[in-house]
Amino acid sequence: MRIPRNRMLLLLATASTFGVCGSAYSAQPDTQIRQAEFSTIVFFVVFAVLTLLFSFWAARRATSSSEYLTAGSSISSGQNGLAIAGDYMSAGAFLGLSGAIYASGLDGMFLAASYLASWPIVLFLVAEPLRRLGKYSFADVLTYRLKERPIRILAGVSTIVIVSFYLVAQMVGAGELISLLFGIGYGPAVIMVGLLMIVFSTLGGMRAATWVQIIKAILMIGGSAMIATLVLVRFGFNVSDLFKTAASNHPNGNKIMDIRGFAQDAVATLSLGFGVLFGTAGLPHILMRFFTVSDERAARVSVFYATCLIGLFFAMLFIIGYGSIALLRSDATYANASGALFGGNNLAPIHLARAVGGSILAGFISAVAFATILAVVSGLLIAGASSAANDLVVGLSGQQLDERMRLRISRVAAMALGVLGILLGLACEGQNVAYLLALATAIAASANFPLLLLAIYWDGLTTRGAVVGGTFGLISSVVLTAMGPTIWSKVLGLGPAIFPYDSPALFTVPLTLFVCWLVSIARAEPEEDWRLAQPAVAQYVESSNA
Amino acid sequence: MQRPSLNKTTEVVALRVTANRSGVLRFRLVLATIVSYLAMMAFLIHRARHATQTAVVAADFSPAMIALASCMAFSVVLTGLFVFVRHGD
Repeated sequence: MRIPRNRMLLLLATASTFGVCGSAYSAQPDTQIRQAEFSTIVFFVVFAVLTLLFSFWAARRATSSSEYLTAGSSISSGQNGLAIAGDYMSAGAFLGLSGAIYASGLDGMFLAASYLASWPIVLFLVAEPLRRLGKYSFADVLTYRLKERPIRILAGVSTIVIVSFYLVAQMVGAGELISLLFGIGYGPAVIMVGLLMIVFSTLGGMRAATWVQIIKAILMIGGSAMIATLVLVRFGFNVSDLFKTAASNHPNGNKIMDIRGFAQDAVATLSLGFGVLFGTAGLPHILMRFFTVSDERAARVSVFYATCLIGLFFAMLFIIGYGSIALLRSDATYANASGALFGGNNLAPIHLARAVGGSILAGFISAVAFATILAVVSGLLIAGASSAANDLVVGLSGQQLDERMRLRISRVAAMALGVLGILLGLACEGQNVAYLLALATAIAASANFPLLLLAIYWDGLTTRGAVVGGTFGLISSVVLTAMGPTIWSKVLGLGPAIFPYDSPALFTVPLTLFVCWLVSIARAEPEEDWRLAQPAVAQYVESSNA
Repeated sequence: MQRPSLNKTTEVVALRVTANRSGVLRFRLVLATIVSYLAMMAFLIHRARHATQTAVVAADFSPAMIALASCMAFSVVLTGLFVFVRHGD
């Protein structure tokens, strides 16, 4: 029964892909543009159909919730490292960071350095305990020490909020990219990508998402290396010439060689960096990656692979960013008189690929970026779906779910989150995607990271402390983010921001830790009511000691 | 059919990960990561505020770029160091 329904979904998604491509192709008025767009469309269709076939293949295996949500914990450390790197080489990073460098120079690399510095934190503090104690979501780790029901409800809500914020960044990048690729409006582009991601994640689950991430990560590194090399070839491999040209093209001149925008306000910069540094250790779709490998050693090694690959990728983004300033800013084909790129600054790497490698390379990079978006949003949907099924529903009902029900709820939740992602993507058109990602990580740093840290490393945490502190972290970070300049003024258009900083992490993370501590020590509670300890925690500690 | 209910409390088990050698190493490395990151950030902010305006176009890696690259490289080195330390598992 399941297979014919899956086939129907696959056919619908493929038809929708071809339909949009066909209408976009016929809408181009100029012959030369038609030829240029044709290669893009071919790459796009090949990637879209391949990813759908992957999801179809994986759907036949995803008959249990363990297979659907964590690929049966059968992914190797190398594969997981590539998949984690793929998660980080998202549209937000590739398009957003390049766009940020194009707009203001080294400011974009500040975010890249912050993202990379967050990986040692993940490795040292949470990767191994998660692998040892968790199965489907980070709440599994918390509930080894704490009462299950309130903790699962809290973890489910916070995961869905964080996933929604993260989805917005990816959908904005997707909408701009597809809009440029096919000459269709931003709205239809977001809806098309949204429908494809719903089909992909609902059918294929974690195994399909992982394999698409792996292939995409390899293609993304290869494509970025190709663009960076071609940029350097243009300047005779002389980086000084590249910087000179970039500085002379940019209205800020020499200032693009330093951090400027972020450094204007030290507190805002520190808060943004703080959120990114600790936020990765609270991102549900990243934490979930540690459930797909077999043991702690594989979790550790996969983080090392991922860190190396992400570092390499960011180094190439540095060249791509400055290359785009040097080669695109003064070219009327790609930018208007004020230097703004056609289609938005987030499209800097796509335009640069066209400038240095022609339409074939641009088409290839566009298709890779599209596959990136599809894979990352699918991972996000699966993380959200997992938390909805294993945390929210279990917490609200007070009953463990059987395999069939858990799988069904996961798939329904993936579809619902996909629709939510489409709506949020439509509302946030034009925002810098790297910045939106930073806001999502700030919420993850405030809501999830303190609970994980205390649950693993502090004996005194009570369920009451975790629930009160976690709720405080989630609500305060969401409210303050909403009151900040980006959401309050730019997205909602409500006038001057009430809270002066975009990222509230500098205030909310320490406060959340403090509230958890205060509530935990303030009131002694009957252990049978508020604490729940499993032998597995002791076993984990004992094996660490050994 | 009755579904299995959620877990009940049985006992409280002490959890002191920092008490062992691996735990101490973890926290030292976390501190090293945070300190290096904050140092990089402080340097960048200080440099941006006290940079001298010059008409000469920059032609080489700026100190800010080197600080960022050092911080990134340090993150990779710390991760590698931890992974290749003997863990006994």
